[in-house]
Amino acid sequence: MNASTLTAPDAPQTAPEALRPARRPGTATVLRWEITKLAAQARSRYTLLGCVLGPIAIVLIFNGQQTTPSDTIYGRQIHTSGYAMPLFLLAFASQWIFPVLASLVAGDIFANEDQHGTWKTILTRSVSRSQIFWAKTVTAIMFTIAEIVVLAATTIVASMLLIGTQPLSGLSGQPLASAHALQLVIASWATALPPLIGFTTLAILLSVVTRNPSAGVAAPVVLGLVMGLLGTIGGFDLTRRFLLTTPLDSWHGLLTEPPFYGPLTFGLGVSAAWTVVCLGFAFFSLRRRDITGG
Amino acid sequence: MSEVLAVDAADLTKIYGNVTALGGISVQVAEGEVYGILGPNGAGKTTFLRMLFGLIRPDSGTLQVFGRSWESHGIGVLEGVAGFIESPKFYPGLTGRKNLELLAGLDGGTTPTRIDEVLDTVDLTERQRRKVGGYSFGMRQRLGVAASLLRDPRLLVLDEPANGLDPAGIRDMRALVKRLAASGLTVLLSSHDMGEVEHICDDVTIMRTGSVVYHGSIAALREQAPAQAHRIATTDDDAAEKLARARDLDVTRTEEGLAVRGTQDRIDSLVADIVGAGIAMRGLSLDETPLEALFFMLTEPATHTAALDGATPATSGAHQ
Repeated sequence: MNASTLTAPDAPQTAPEALRPARRPGTATVLRWEITKLAAQARSRYTLLGCVLGPIAIVLIFNGQQTTPSDTIYGRQIHTSGYAMPLFLLAFASQWIFPVLASLVAGDIFANEDQHGTWKTILTRSVSRSQIFWAKTVTAIMFTIAEIVVLAATTIVASMLLIGTQPLSGLSGQPLASAHALQLVIASWATALPPLIGFTTLAILLSVVTRNPSAGVAAPVVLGLVMGLLGTIGGFDLTRRFLLTTPLDSWHGLLTEPPFYGPLTFGLGVSAAWTVVCLGFAFFSLRRRDITGG
Repeated sequence: MSEVLAVDAADLTKIYGNVTALGGISVQVAEGEVYGILGPNGAGKTTFLRMLFGLIRPDSGTLQVFGRSWESHGIGVLEGVAGFIESPKFYPGLTGRKNLELLAGLDGGTTPTRIDEVLDTVDLTERQRRKVGGYSFGMRQRLGVAASLLRDPRLLVLDEPANGLDPAGIRDMRALVKRLAASGLTVLLSSHDMGEVEHICDDVTIMRTGSVVYHGSIAALREQAPAQAHRIATTDDDAAEKLARARDLDVTRTEEGLAVRGTQDRIDSLVADIVGAGIAMRGLSLDETPLEALFFMLTEPATHTAALDGATPATSGAHQ
């Protein structure tokens, strides 16, 4: 500190009589604070940019190829209907891209404070741990939703523009008119949101518990892959129903004739259960924790 | 001055496994006081301050800040309280100013003018647009003070504020704390440096391994301090030691020569004797101030037993 400049507080503002009335910010204010912090991170901006550019590149590449990935769901139709490509990418992204997107911010959002030692900085202001928790949680979930919406919109628009708006064949072979196909494609992408919110809260839990950004981001992806693997192994039928990856396939029921909604509704319940359990553990873990680091 | 204590902690205990971080300490700080919490590393100072800020919870005991407790008032306890624990931490990817703006948001917001004021107070105006990741330790320390002042506190808690600062920075930090105290602010200052505390604080709690070993005024502590110690190096330390012992001075051989404890006039006489005996002086320096000596006696009794024979550490004081 330079001698010449640590002049100071003749300033009356530091005296008790000049104390301002207590101003306790609401959770909405804390949410704005967290969003401002997130927006300042280059990683979040690049991730959203990737969600825009990635699908365009993939559509261009697959559209330019002579052959089609015919052993993959809707892979056979990607050259014949612009609605097949978004469904093909939806199935592909479910395997590992979605868990990555869900955990990129959520897995880091709490552990980042541990990494920088800033818990003690923010928790010595005028906001409670609960407010911080919910602001971070809502921010992470909003970011996941934003990623999926941007990814879906870019994929659908790019496919329609580059491939076309031809009718689509349903999974039972039934023809689907263009407008109806578009509705079903949008609905199919929407079904990914509940399990991805579940993955987001799983990443939040790991972020809180491990206090390590790398673990918070990577562990949900690994768990997603393990769940995906378990889903393909025989003999785990009961377990499979409760895995967070299973609801990611529930959109199949929307494209059959007649449609079946059982997996979708059950998947909603499973996603909600994962969300509640993960958030519950994360909340109480943060609330009870001694902040000793930093 | 208000009758409500700024800090009223009673029998605070915190145990981690086999380690007793706090073993039932009590600290009372009156409003308007400049109060020191002194102790070596591991004494429990930071644990107590973290408890005050609600970062960790005590296993037992009670803690009130301006009459408010965490159990009854939650985060409301921190109204009018600001400070930092250990070295202040910020978001390294954001500028100093942006960090302050964000932190002010967590207090309900502030005006750009107020941010200008606190940045000016700690001499960071010119560096406010630089990312904190590029700040020096001292600059982050100053930004920590600025972030605290943004809350317009009645109680300012500073944990080792001079840590890592260069001598000029230490001098200026002390001056700043004194000015803040003069403005009516209650200051709770933690340090492991007796010199830092004795020049700033009115009262002090000295801690060792989670316990309070002294609690009272600096003036009372000073009265109980032993004679100051000097380091003396000569061309014939054996002869010099004999001369010291002949004067009944407390003398210890060290690698550098002799450590002699006594009043200034007795040390002066000894030096005259040494020179008069034809022994050349190679060095004479003040080893530790009396308060520092007492501090080491209180906090490191095992290595200062000889000195302890000559003084009685106090365990009572104005607030006990």
